[in-house]
Amino acid sequence: MVDDEPEIRRALRTGLGYQDFDVRAVESGEEALAQAASWRPDVVLLDLGLPGMDGFQVLHELRNRDRRAAVIVVSVMPGERDKVRALDLGADDYVVKPFGVDELLARIRAVLRRQAAIAEGEPVIRAGELELDLARREVRANGAQVHLTPTEYEVLRVLALHAGKPVTHTMLLRQVWGEYAVGDRYNTRYVVAQIRRKLGDDPARPRYIVNEPGVGYRLQA
Amino acid sequence: MRAWWPRALPYLVGLCGVGVVTALIAVVRPFAVLPNLSAAYLLVVLFLSARWGWRPALASALLAFLAYDWFFVVPYGTLWISAPRDVLDLVLLLAAALLGARLVSTLASQRRGAQAEAVESGILNEVAISALRDPDGGEALRLLCRRAVEAGGLQAIALMAGEGEEASVVAGDALSGADLRQARWAAARGLDLGARLEHGELHLMRIYSPRREPRLVTLTGGVAVFWLREERPPTQEQCHLLAALLGLGGLLLDRRRGAAAVERARALEASDRLKTAVLSSVSHELKTPIASLRAGLSMLSMPEAGLAPEHCEMVAGLDRQTSRLDHLVSDLLTMARLEAEVSLERTPQPLDEMLGSALRALGPLLDGFDLRVEVPAGLPPLLVDELQLERVLTNLLENAVEWTPAGGRITVGAERDGDRAAVWVENQGPPIAADELERVFSKFWTRRKGGSGLGLAISRRIVEAHGGTIRAENRPDGPRFTCHLPLAAAVPAAEPAPGG
Repeated sequence: MVDDEPEIRRALRTGLGYQDFDVRAVESGEEALAQAASWRPDVVLLDLGLPGMDGFQVLHELRNRDRRAAVIVVSVMPGERDKVRALDLGADDYVVKPFGVDELLARIRAVLRRQAAIAEGEPVIRAGELELDLARREVRANGAQVHLTPTEYEVLRVLALHAGKPVTHTMLLRQVWGEYAVGDRYNTRYVVAQIRRKLGDDPARPRYIVNEPGVGYRLQA
Repeated sequence: MRAWWPRALPYLVGLCGVGVVTALIAVVRPFAVLPNLSAAYLLVVLFLSARWGWRPALASALLAFLAYDWFFVVPYGTLWISAPRDVLDLVLLLAAALLGARLVSTLASQRRGAQAEAVESGILNEVAISALRDPDGGEALRLLCRRAVEAGGLQAIALMAGEGEEASVVAGDALSGADLRQARWAAARGLDLGARLEHGELHLMRIYSPRREPRLVTLTGGVAVFWLREERPPTQEQCHLLAALLGLGGLLLDRRRGAAAVERARALEASDRLKTAVLSSVSHELKTPIASLRAGLSMLSMPEAGLAPEHCEMVAGLDRQTSRLDHLVSDLLTMARLEAEVSLERTPQPLDEMLGSALRALGPLLDGFDLRVEVPAGLPPLLVDELQLERVLTNLLENAVEWTPAGGRITVGAERDGDRAAVWVENQGPPIAADELERVFSKFWTRRKGGSGLGLAISRRIVEAHGGTIRAENRPDGPRFTCHLPLAAAVPAAEPAPGG
């Protein structure tokens, strides 16, 4: 955990410790990078508003050195731009300060579950009632097969590969439409609306794909 | 006594010239019998027309005609002509003198015109180049004033910039208090006094005391104030030059005004940026201690913390109060931000998606209510800022939750209304008093204890920034809050093909 507020470090270290997490708390980006190299944590809780080395810089360095540790970005009233920037830099999720320990625990567990799933390299991704067979390129909702166009399948596949994690509009555009796709969010919106319709998902009360306002979409794990 | 002298000079010269030529002819005639000695008068006439124009030339031609007739045509000493040949001679002399005078004087005036034009365009070039060198235009305006006095033949000139009563001298001579007041008065009304600039021509009017009273011309970007030289009013060429200089001055003053407006806009933008920066730092300062409190209190209320049940309950209550404080601070900061600047990023947004986000943000708050969503499937997307509109929906739903008895119905609906959408949230709470239907949207005004009184004020500000409206009304079931918002026009008809 990287945070420059001693009270927060103390409270979270104790609270997470109750749930059998092994926690180390540091107060600067430099220390965080040193710890990440020697101690190799599974999850890094990174405050963006650090004195000295900027949180984005720490995130960039972490992602360059070690792709294993999941990073949850923590920030006070972040602008949507900051959220998108952190996610595009490779953060796995973000939590807005102030938050309670239980809320943080839920996020950490979700990130760890996803890590485990990726480590197993399963050919079938399950998210609730949704099943994605990557080998056969088949999608089933509630056991019934759903027919998607290639573009729709690609979008759903990218969301499923990051199930539980917010995927930014930029990430979707790049991965589905190519590296140099220009930022027309309406494309992704339109395709997602089609997928929702075929999955029988209500956009106002989504079971599968939820909207991350100003950021992108998240497939609920 | 001095006034007639310059005007009489050409005629005196003509008189002397004709006299000298007559004397010469008288001297030469006895020795050489030359048929056309009268042609010598042409020299005088042509000289006069080239130097002073055709009027003195005509006068001297007539004088020469009479002198020749008197002295050299038989009978001498009278204007009587006896031989028809002599009549022809004299008429030819007069005709040649007149034609020659006309021709030479036209050529001379054309040359003078060309010279004046060259001088004029030289001066205009000089001023324009100076204006290009100096983006502020101050140096060019000062040069323009100097040239207007030197070449334009003015006594003095001042150029003023600024709107009406705010106008002040930016180049040229200083103005006395009375002149300045008069100039501002005229500038505020867009009046011209004593002179008018029209179709590139400067028209000067007669005024009562030209030495004391200034002439004023309103230009696109300011006012020109000038005085003529009393003893010598500007010639036609000078008026032409002055008109061109004043036109150029107007352009320069206009450009200067544009530059000043850009500068002011920049300063405002900088102050907005400063406000936003201060707000962002204030947010951080206010939120950080709340974050520490919430982290600590939520940790203490975990069963593993081992607090006695009554303590645990108390700590959980404190945690809830801290959440409420967080909410109030967020509302205050949001309002302050909206008041500093409302920057909207408007894109086509499906209403149901935004509603989904708002419902998710409220989370367990909505548990236990009968929530109904009545959004028609074919509703086109709204042209709104996604985040701001989600805030509006969240605020309206929160408001509904506050007033609806547990288990009551909350309805979110929408319908198309021309090129707009009506979006409403209705609850089953008690009706709002008629005089409060408008007041519920005022800042810090709240019907219940503990609310920030900002939720609806924030919503109104956001909706109005979108060019929409929001109002409250009492329906049979309970109060309804309706927003009218713009719809996005362009909806793609088919799925876009993947590329790249």
